[in-house]
Amino acid sequence: MNIIVCIKQVPDSTQVKVDPKTGTLIRAGVPSILNPYDHFALERALDIKAKTGAKVTVLSMGPNQAIAVLRLALALGADEGILLSDRAFAGSDTWATSYALATGIRKIGKYDLILCGQMAIDGDTAQTGPGIARHLNIPQITFCTQIDASGNQVIVTKLIEGGKQVLQAELPVLVTMTMPVDYAPKYPSFMAAHKAQEKPVHTWTAADIGADLHKLGLEGSPTRVDRIFPPPARQKGEMFAGSPAELANKLVEILKKESVVK
Amino acid sequence: MAKNDLTTRNLMLDSLRQYAKNRISFNLIREHDAKNEIPLDILKEMYDHNVLGVHLLLIPEEYGGLGGQTTEIYRICEQLARIDLGIATGVFATFLGSDPINVGGTPEQKAKWFQKIAHENKLVAYGATEADAGSDLVSLRTRAEHVVKDGKVVGYKITGSKMWISNGGVADIYTVLALAPGGPSWFIVEKGTPGFTQDAHEDKHGIRLSNTAGLAFDEVYVPAENLIGLKEGQGFLQAQAVFGYTRLMVAAFGLGGGEEAVETALTYAQQRIQAGGPLAEKQGFMLKLITPHYVRFEAARAYIDWTAKQLEVNNHGLATEGAIAKLYATESGNKAAEDSIQAMGGFGYTKEFAVEKIKRDVKITCIYEGTSEVLEMTIFRGRWQEHLKSRGQYYLNQAAEFDTIHAQNPNVGADSVALGFRALARVLEDCRVNKLTRHQYVTFMLGDLISEMEVAAVFTRQCANKLVTEGSRFDIASLSTMARVNARQSAFKVASEGLRLILGTCPNINTAELSQAVNLVGIEDKMRGLIEDMDQVSAKLREIFKK
Repeated sequence: MNIIVCIKQVPDSTQVKVDPKTGTLIRAGVPSILNPYDHFALERALDIKAKTGAKVTVLSMGPNQAIAVLRLALALGADEGILLSDRAFAGSDTWATSYALATGIRKIGKYDLILCGQMAIDGDTAQTGPGIARHLNIPQITFCTQIDASGNQVIVTKLIEGGKQVLQAELPVLVTMTMPVDYAPKYPSFMAAHKAQEKPVHTWTAADIGADLHKLGLEGSPTRVDRIFPPPARQKGEMFAGSPAELANKLVEILKKESVVK
Repeated sequence: MAKNDLTTRNLMLDSLRQYAKNRISFNLIREHDAKNEIPLDILKEMYDHNVLGVHLLLIPEEYGGLGGQTTEIYRICEQLARIDLGIATGVFATFLGSDPINVGGTPEQKAKWFQKIAHENKLVAYGATEADAGSDLVSLRTRAEHVVKDGKVVGYKITGSKMWISNGGVADIYTVLALAPGGPSWFIVEKGTPGFTQDAHEDKHGIRLSNTAGLAFDEVYVPAENLIGLKEGQGFLQAQAVFGYTRLMVAAFGLGGGEEAVETALTYAQQRIQAGGPLAEKQGFMLKLITPHYVRFEAARAYIDWTAKQLEVNNHGLATEGAIAKLYATESGNKAAEDSIQAMGGFGYTKEFAVEKIKRDVKITCIYEGTSEVLEMTIFRGRWQEHLKSRGQYYLNQAAEFDTIHAQNPNVGADSVALGFRALARVLEDCRVNKLTRHQYVTFMLGDLISEMEVAAVFTRQCANKLVTEGSRFDIASLSTMARVNARQSAFKVASEGLRLILGTCPNINTAELSQAVNLVGIEDKMRGLIEDMDQVSAKLREIFKK
C-alpha cells in the first residue's frame, strides 16, 4: 500500500498575535510547527504502516524552511519526503494549492490512500484536502477521527453533527483527519531525528511536476481576500446572584429592556 | 553518518521541549523542589532510547551514540536549563562523568563503557571534588594503591572521600580521580563495589532536583583495566582537556536559566496593569529590569555559539574562551534572575512563580565547573600572556580590526569595541609598568574586563557579518541595536573600571592623563543615542513576547 500524507508548516498559533491596525499576523519570533491536524494524520498513517508495511510519503508545499516538517515526519517513521517549492506557488489560495499538491501526487504516481489534516491552524479553511480529491477525481471522506486500512479498503470513523458514522471505502480514497481535544503530538527520539537525515527528501518546482502556471499563485486563485480583521473583543458580561426565580425574572426584564423579546 | 545539521538540532530541541511540556509540569518541579528530591523516573525516561535518549549525544557514533557536536550539546543544555536546572545538572553529570573516558580512554575502554552507558541507560557521576580539593585539585587526597599479584599490578585499592558529587547517590558508574603511585589518575568505579558507599543527598539552596552526595571509598578494589587510559599520572591533563567544553555547557545553563526567568517576568509585565497601563509599556521598568538582560543574553549566545563552532574545529582546548563564556553567561543569568524577582514584585518572591526557584538554581552556575573568581584568574592568566608576548599589541591589533569593521558597517557598535580594546590595552600596559598584578583583586577584575570586551567584540562582529545566532528570536536589525548598546557599555566599563583599579592601587598617577590615555571622554561620547537604542530593544521585546 502507498500512503501519501499532505502536511503543512504553520506558525504556532498559540503564540501568534494579530496586529490590530493591519489585521495581519505578527510572525516575528514565532516558532513554526507541523500543523497538529497533519501531525495526527501522519501518526495514523504510521500506524497503518506498522500493521501493513505500507510506504508512507509525506508531501508539503512551502518555502525551503518547510523541510523541517518533512524531517520531523521522516524522524517519526515516514519513508520519503517531497517539498513543492517554487515562487510560482506563492499567493496560491486553497484551490490553487490543492491543484499543486494533486499535480505533485500525480508525479509521485503510486498512491492508494491520501491522508490530510482536516484543516491548517493558520487558515482554518478545511478546503485543501477536499480540493486535492476533486483535482485527482477520487472519493473523499472528511472529519475522521479513526482510520484502519487493510487490503483494498479503509474503515473510518467520521464525525457528524451530534454523533459519528463508521464508513467503509475502497481505495484509492482521500481522508481528512481531525484530532481529539487532548491530542499530544508524538515527537521523535534524538536518535530517530539523527537518522532521518539519511532519508530521501526531494524538492520539486512547478516545472518538475509539469504544473500549468496559470492555475497557480494569484492568477490561479479564485479567492479574493477583502480584508482581514480580528473579531471585536467581547464585552465583559454582567453577573447576577439570586434564587432561580429571581434570576429568571431579572433575565426577562433585561431581555425586554434590550428589545430582544416583547 | 553525517553530523547533525541545523534542522536536526532544531528537531531534537522540539522533541525535548515537547517532552517537558507533556511530562515535566511546574507542579512536579515545585513538589520535588520542596521535598528536595530528584525525579529519577523523569531522568530515566529522558535516557530511554524510544523517548528521547538525550545521553546518546555524548557517546561517539562508533559506540552506538550520536557523537553530538558542541553546538547541539550546548543548545540542548540551554533548553534543559530552561526546563529545570536540577534536571539539567543530572543530565550534565552523565556528560561530565563520561568525559574522562572520552578524552583518555583506550578504544577497548570506550567500547565497554560507552556501550554500557548508551544501551543500559546508566547514569554517570564525575568524582573529582574533595573537602580540600575544589578548584584546587592539586590538594587531592583520595589514594589508589597498587594491588600486586605475581609481580604485576592487577588492580588498585581506592581509599578516600569525595564531596558534592552530582548524581552522587543515584549513579551507576563513577569516574573517580585518585592519586595513584604514578600521579593523579581517573578510575571507573561501579555502584555496588565492596567498600564504596554514598552519603545522604545534600540539602541545597537550589538545583534541588539534582542529587548531590558525598562518596566514601574504603579500600575499594578496582581491576587495573579500570584505570582510564591504562596509564597513571594523566588525571589532571585529562581533566583540563575538557574544561573549554564543559564550561561552555555551564555557560549555556546560565543563559537558559536567566532567559527563562526574564521571559517569565516579561510575560507577567505585559499583563500587569499599574498606573493605567501594562508594566512592560513603562520605560523605567523595562530599561532597569528587563531590556539590559536580553542585550547580555544575545551577546552571551553569540559568544557561546562562536566558541562552540571553534571547538568543533579544534576539538579540545580553548580554556580561556570557555572560561569567558561561562563567567559572562552565568553572571548575566544570575543577575537577570535576581532582577526578574524584582520585576514581579511580591509575586516574584513567592513560590507560585518560577523566578524564585530559578534564582536559587542559577546561582550554582557561578560556582560549579570553576567559580567566577577562578575563571577570572584563568582568563587573566591566558590573556596576560598574550599581552606580554605581543608587547602590548594583542588588543591594539583587535582594535584596528574593529576600526575596519566600523568603516564598513557603522551600525553595530564596532567603534565602541575599538575604543574599548584600546582602553583595555592601555589598562593592561599600566598594570604591567606599575606591577599592579601583584594585587590579586586587580587580576580578578582584569579577568572580568577582558571577558566583557571579548564578548562584546564577538557579538559586534557577528552582527557586522549579518549573522543571526541560531536559537536567537531576534532579527539582525534588533541584534545590531543590541550590539551597539552592549559595545558602548562594555567599553565604558573597561575604561572606568580600569581607572578605578589603577588609581586605586597607584595613587601617584595623574588622573587627567590616565583618563585621556584610556580615552574615557571618547567612550562617553559614544553614549549619544543609547537610551533611544534601548527603547527600540524594549519595543521589539514587547512585540516578540506579547501575550
